[in-house]
Amino acid sequence: MRTTRRSHRVESIRLRAISVALFTFLLFASCSFPAAVEAKVYIDITSPSAKKLPIAIYDLQGPSGKEISDIIRDDLTFTGLFMYIDKASYIEPASERFSQQNWKPLGIEAVVKGTTRENNGLMVDIAVYDVFDGRTILTRQYQSTRELVRQLAHTISNDIYQSCTGLPGMFRTKIALVAEDDGEKGIYVMDWDGQRVRKLGLKGTLVLAPRWSADGTKIIYSSERSRQWGVYLLDFVKMSEKRIVASKGTNMAGDFFPKGDAVAYSSSKDGTPDIYVMSLKDLASRKLTHTQGIEVSPAVSPDGTHIAFVSDRGGSPQIYLMRSDGSDIRRVTFDGSYNTSPSWSPSGDRIVFSCRRGKNQICLVKPDGTDLLQLTDAGNNEDPSFSPDGRYITFSSDRDRTRGIYIMRANGETQKKISPPGLRAYGPRWSPN
Amino acid sequence: MKSVKFVVFTFMLLCVFGLVACQKRAVTKADTAPEAQPQAVEKKDQEKVTESKIDSKIESVDVKDKEGQYAESKESMFSDILFDYDKYEVADIYKPVLKSVSTWMAKNTSARLSIEGHCDERGTNEYNLALGDRRAKAVKDYLVSLGVASDRINVISYGEERPICNEQTEVCWAKNRRAHFVVLTKVGK
Repeated sequence: MRTTRRSHRVESIRLRAISVALFTFLLFASCSFPAAVEAKVYIDITSPSAKKLPIAIYDLQGPSGKEISDIIRDDLTFTGLFMYIDKASYIEPASERFSQQNWKPLGIEAVVKGTTRENNGLMVDIAVYDVFDGRTILTRQYQSTRELVRQLAHTISNDIYQSCTGLPGMFRTKIALVAEDDGEKGIYVMDWDGQRVRKLGLKGTLVLAPRWSADGTKIIYSSERSRQWGVYLLDFVKMSEKRIVASKGTNMAGDFFPKGDAVAYSSSKDGTPDIYVMSLKDLASRKLTHTQGIEVSPAVSPDGTHIAFVSDRGGSPQIYLMRSDGSDIRRVTFDGSYNTSPSWSPSGDRIVFSCRRGKNQICLVKPDGTDLLQLTDAGNNEDPSFSPDGRYITFSSDRDRTRGIYIMRANGETQKKISPPGLRAYGPRWSPN
Repeated sequence: MKSVKFVVFTFMLLCVFGLVACQKRAVTKADTAPEAQPQAVEKKDQEKVTESKIDSKIESVDVKDKEGQYAESKESMFSDILFDYDKYEVADIYKPVLKSVSTWMAKNTSARLSIEGHCDERGTNEYNLALGDRRAKAVKDYLVSLGVASDRINVISYGEERPICNEQTEVCWAKNRRAHFVVLTKVGK
């Protein structure tokens, strides 16, 4: 009796799965065949030899139009996947309808046009055209308020990026960082392009790099208050701060596990710095490493199965890897005498870290220790972390004397400072969304 | 039978839904008058809430810092213990200093000691914080071996965050790689 019921349930699940699959197919088929352009991928970002897509971006006609266009242009250009063609060469007047013939001779493959109007806020209409097929790839209307114009422009960039690459853009992401204001250090959040720098109203004196939860609603960070290093959790939804590790000794964050229900941190509560994992439900900690030396900077892999960390058990600080239960410890880095601050790529195929080559540089390595690659060579570079799409890396550098926040492509190209000049900043962490 | 019905029902429901979705999309495709995307608008409103929350100050903080029961000495009465680059072993030349610290602690039974570990700026911040911690601990361990009670000594690391010398020279870096003593004397009750 029991077996039949179970097999019935299995059958029912299977039928349900079939119906969902059938539906998906039908929806996809009926919608995308008449407009096959939806599925066309203009840039294959996985191909290393992909050529840049030449794109024309008009100044949108109407209030804030040029500002929005400039943001879209900067967003798309930074990716290295688009080649922006200057407005001087456009033949077609902005107000006229898109015509293939106006663009083909210029070698331009995509055209962005649009209008804006102020009407109880800001309304923007955007159209993106494919020159080769003479079709519209995207038409969309956006509504927002005047003060959110940058987020609005980044949203448009995301949509253009997605319609050309088939993948989500990261133009709405943020970077959390530590900066100094009148000698007092605090946590700040800014857009990924360095704009809209906002200080979070947190007290406390010395602060180290913050870490995001996978859903982007929380950060953990270390702060020294009254001669005691604690690990603190800030919840952006509840807007509350909580001290989650307060034991004796130096307590340092650390990293969230992907489900957000546990964190890894380091503490010297037993005498020397070791790695611990703590459940956020009952705040119970479990010790994973047991040496008399230094074990610090745990970084949880995107699938939650492994922890990369720094240990000096071999005589110098190096990157190690262990399973999340503390077993199977392996050394990852062997080149150089000082490798610290590991952080994972979103797919888990690379670890980015700070490698000392005279000064501190940013290096990449596979978790098995192969394919070591140095990405920077100017000044001291620290605290690297990946963007959520894995295509970019943020880090801190003192190459122009004042330590600030930089971003670059994950192959080391296009390194640029994004934090405001004069602001002493470090410890950047790219938000997951 | 039930599940077959379910499939048929789902299928029909989804077909209708699919048709509606397609129609909407067809309208959106028109070049001249693009249809408003309610999703995009909805998303914006939600976004605004999140943004303003991040902008606002922390509303509730459940951390209460305890008042210190001990006063810190302004100037240290003991000289700093210096360390080699990236190292945390206490060199023999500092052992007489530590002997005098233990002697003083034996005479001043109500005093407590805080040992600060510091590093030069060349390391990375997090590792330096651990290194400073390990330096302070190494000094504490030696004092405990000389007979000072462990619970009279606390350690705190400042990593590279509080340099006493700010030039980028070997001389300066050497001064910053230090364990610093702060004598805490009891105040009040």
